[in-house]
Amino acid sequence: MQSPDAIVIGAGIVGASSALSLTNAGLKVLVIDRGAVSSGTTGAGEGNILVSDKDPGPELTLALRSRDLWFEMQDDVGDSFELEAKGGVVVARHDDGPLLKLAAEQSQHGVTTQKLNQSSLHELEPYLHPDFHSGVFYPQDAQCQPMLAAAQVIRTVIARGGAFISQAKVTRIVVENGAVAGIETSKGVFRAPIIINATGTWAGELAQMAGSHLPIAPRKGFILVTEPTKKYVFHKVYDSDYVTNVASSDADLQTSTVVEGTRSGTILIGASRERIGFDGSMNYEILRRLAAQATSLFPVLRDVQLLRAYRGFRPYAPDHLPVIGEDSKVRGLWHSAGHEGAGIGLAPGSAALITDAILGRESFMDGSPFSPHRFATVSL
Amino acid sequence: MSKQISFTFNGVAVQCEEGQSIAAAVINSGTLALRKTRFGEEPRSIFCGIGICFDCVVVVDGVANQRSCLIEAKADMNIESSS
Amino acid sequence: MIIVIGAGPAGLAAAEAASRNGSEVALIDSASRLGGQYWRHRSTVTGYRSNRADLLFAKVKSAASITYISEATVWSIERDGELIRVNYLQGGSESSLTAEKLILATGAYDRSLPFPGWDQPGSMTPGAAQALLKGHGILAGQSVVVAGTGPFLLPVATGLAQAGAKVVGLYEAHSPLRWLLSPQALLLNVSKFAELIYYAGLIRKYRMAPRFGRVVSRFDKGQVTITSVNSSFALKRKRALTFEVDVVAVGWGFSPDLTLGGIVGCKERVDVDGTTIFEVDGDQLSSQKNVWIAGEATGIGGADLSLLEGEIAGLSASSQKISSILRFARFRKQVFADALKCSYPVKDGWRSWAEKSTTICRCEEVSLGEIEESVAELGAEDSRTAKLFTRAGMGLCQGRICSRNVSEIVAGLTKCSVTDEERIASSNRPIAAPIALGLLGDGKK
Repeated sequence: MQSPDAIVIGAGIVGASSALSLTNAGLKVLVIDRGAVSSGTTGAGEGNILVSDKDPGPELTLALRSRDLWFEMQDDVGDSFELEAKGGVVVARHDDGPLLKLAAEQSQHGVTTQKLNQSSLHELEPYLHPDFHSGVFYPQDAQCQPMLAAAQVIRTVIARGGAFISQAKVTRIVVENGAVAGIETSKGVFRAPIIINATGTWAGELAQMAGSHLPIAPRKGFILVTEPTKKYVFHKVYDSDYVTNVASSDADLQTSTVVEGTRSGTILIGASRERIGFDGSMNYEILRRLAAQATSLFPVLRDVQLLRAYRGFRPYAPDHLPVIGEDSKVRGLWHSAGHEGAGIGLAPGSAALITDAILGRESFMDGSPFSPHRFATVSL
Repeated sequence: MSKQISFTFNGVAVQCEEGQSIAAAVINSGTLALRKTRFGEEPRSIFCGIGICFDCVVVVDGVANQRSCLIEAKADMNIESSS
Repeated sequence: MIIVIGAGPAGLAAAEAASRNGSEVALIDSASRLGGQYWRHRSTVTGYRSNRADLLFAKVKSAASITYISEATVWSIERDGELIRVNYLQGGSESSLTAEKLILATGAYDRSLPFPGWDQPGSMTPGAAQALLKGHGILAGQSVVVAGTGPFLLPVATGLAQAGAKVVGLYEAHSPLRWLLSPQALLLNVSKFAELIYYAGLIRKYRMAPRFGRVVSRFDKGQVTITSVNSSFALKRKRALTFEVDVVAVGWGFSPDLTLGGIVGCKERVDVDGTTIFEVDGDQLSSQKNVWIAGEATGIGGADLSLLEGEIAGLSASSQKISSILRFARFRKQVFADALKCSYPVKDGWRSWAEKSTTICRCEEVSLGEIEESVAELGAEDSRTAKLFTRAGMGLCQGRICSRNVSEIVAGLTKCSVTDEERIASSNRPIAAPIALGLLGDGKK
């Protein structure tokens, strides 16, 4: 591609939706990835588009807008990535006080919530353990097939004049007079005045290449996949402990169950969180804990067999907020990374934010809480 | 001569020798198709015969996706192609 | 203690050898009887030189230091400090066994290639036809076509004929002359002539007429089509023959089962024939401390080689001396095995047998057309991405049947060759066998 206006590094869902948003704004965009489409965290995700697990604040505002943008993006590129507003059901294992309090606050900030009692809860999820008697229904929670989504979005970018180069590893970010000028890769040198770092868990390494700093670390998670079964789980069902764990900064292992059915008939069970670097090994004790929690939610799953388990690395920032905006040191280098386990849900919203910022347009929200500048004072 | 036992496959009684696998017993009774696929509803039977391919899976006494080539038929088992 | 997983020729030889100096051995196998896939039997083993099996069975059964755990399916292996813990399922419950040392002898299964109708009832692997016959005493059908490539077709075809089946066709895709390419292998293994003569006698007796350079190109509701192929396995469409048959048993050599060694983290490599196998040293020791591997998982070589590898692994794991005679015997069989791989290679032309609607992934019912679309339309460039887009290889068998084929189809479409990394990654299956979530959760600490 001759002289792109912008280069997006990373062909996961965050990079793909940024590329689409910039393309739709009239820019000529080159997307590059060191692997293929969705070969990082996007390819290891469940496809969560959640509002239910966010506390009121900037991330929730982003999540709500992003969720709507998912449906707009589907219209834009065509219905081809299994997008479905299946809804989330959050149940309280012990005291339902904290859950109901959170739901009340969320509903004041635009989240649709519906309190569930014993009978309405079991009407929505008939196979749920009878002991659960209280919960909240979040009809906005949605689901997609993220790998397909990224591929369809990239395909649309190409159809609209953009380009995608795979298997191209960035070896150098060219900075001239404090501003980016291009990148050197294993597949050649590309020059552009705007570079978007959408490399997720690896965004810190890339920032370092440009002489900057981004404190993004991997947070490992496992997902269990069962054999195909009868439909036992109708929504995204999780324990209210999940919200506490997502927000935790503890490096140790935390597990709290998220159970959901998929179109192919399998059931997915997540989600553990550990910060132990890029250690890809399997930890069977975690699988056991996740299985125990899932079967305590849905006893019928005791006889359902575990088929596969896989792990992924969520890009994790110390304050749990994504990093969206221009680099604090290098002009023209923009980051959209660190979305942790919410990258699928937050992708189109982040793309809109970054596009608006690049073009100097007003956006749907104040993006300053996500600014990379918040780490500028952190000592190395 | 081994002991003869009987079980049901999709509601029909099947006789076999003790120690035979479910798949062997059903195929020997003259029924080759053991199940239909989830999406295309295509008939499937034994393929690898040694528990690798999972193509011969049936519901054994209510438990789904059991490999009929590995599981020995037991008297009075209730085998279904699908649940 | 030494845990041996797999009670086929390699595992039996390993257990027997290790027990010679009184070492405690636990022999775990998923079947209800000793012998693995090769010496599958109901009463006594029959076939070429089968007395070896009975001798070994007797030794293993009478050895006081060997504990035999049958009908036990290993689903995971964990490190516990210096110890190795093997978690297995048996009779509806989960148990564990811990030992200092582990010998993996997990064997291999038939390699299959897709052709239109290969997923229909009546189409099966030669191993399946043999398992039904030897393991359960039944014939899969009255009339049978045996096809594919490799010497394993001979015992299957002759075994079926001896049991009363009408073997209406025996088709080898390669030319019979390929053997002459490796005279040194035959000179080092003169006994193989005797084996060939044994099978030739049976083939004559049952009036089978082996045909070469032909493959099963279609199977449709009892109608089989046999088509001539050129040396790269491309079909010569004009030379096809269609007739009725109950069963087509088609096999293309073997794929080793790498699941358990992969879980332990043993280093893999790609063999001369493109098969992913484990790297072992002269003592059959893998890259992982205290883990030995013997038999087909270190390179497809047949029962003779597996027995020798098993014996060496068993002796090494129990700190006994390994004689140079034994090492030379293994070397001879390895030369033969390598010649075999070169004589019966699976050529790329098979990729043209499937049609757009032909199923490639049997579990998730993914067709060739869908895989082509994932490459052409969605930009899949390797099997991992193609799998994510199409679900090929994500079903119950976890890609054991289709993953190598999917990799090679994608490579063909993208005009690349499959990388060793990709071949190795596709054998990564952390859950070796399905386990009920209830059992899994109950085992939590």
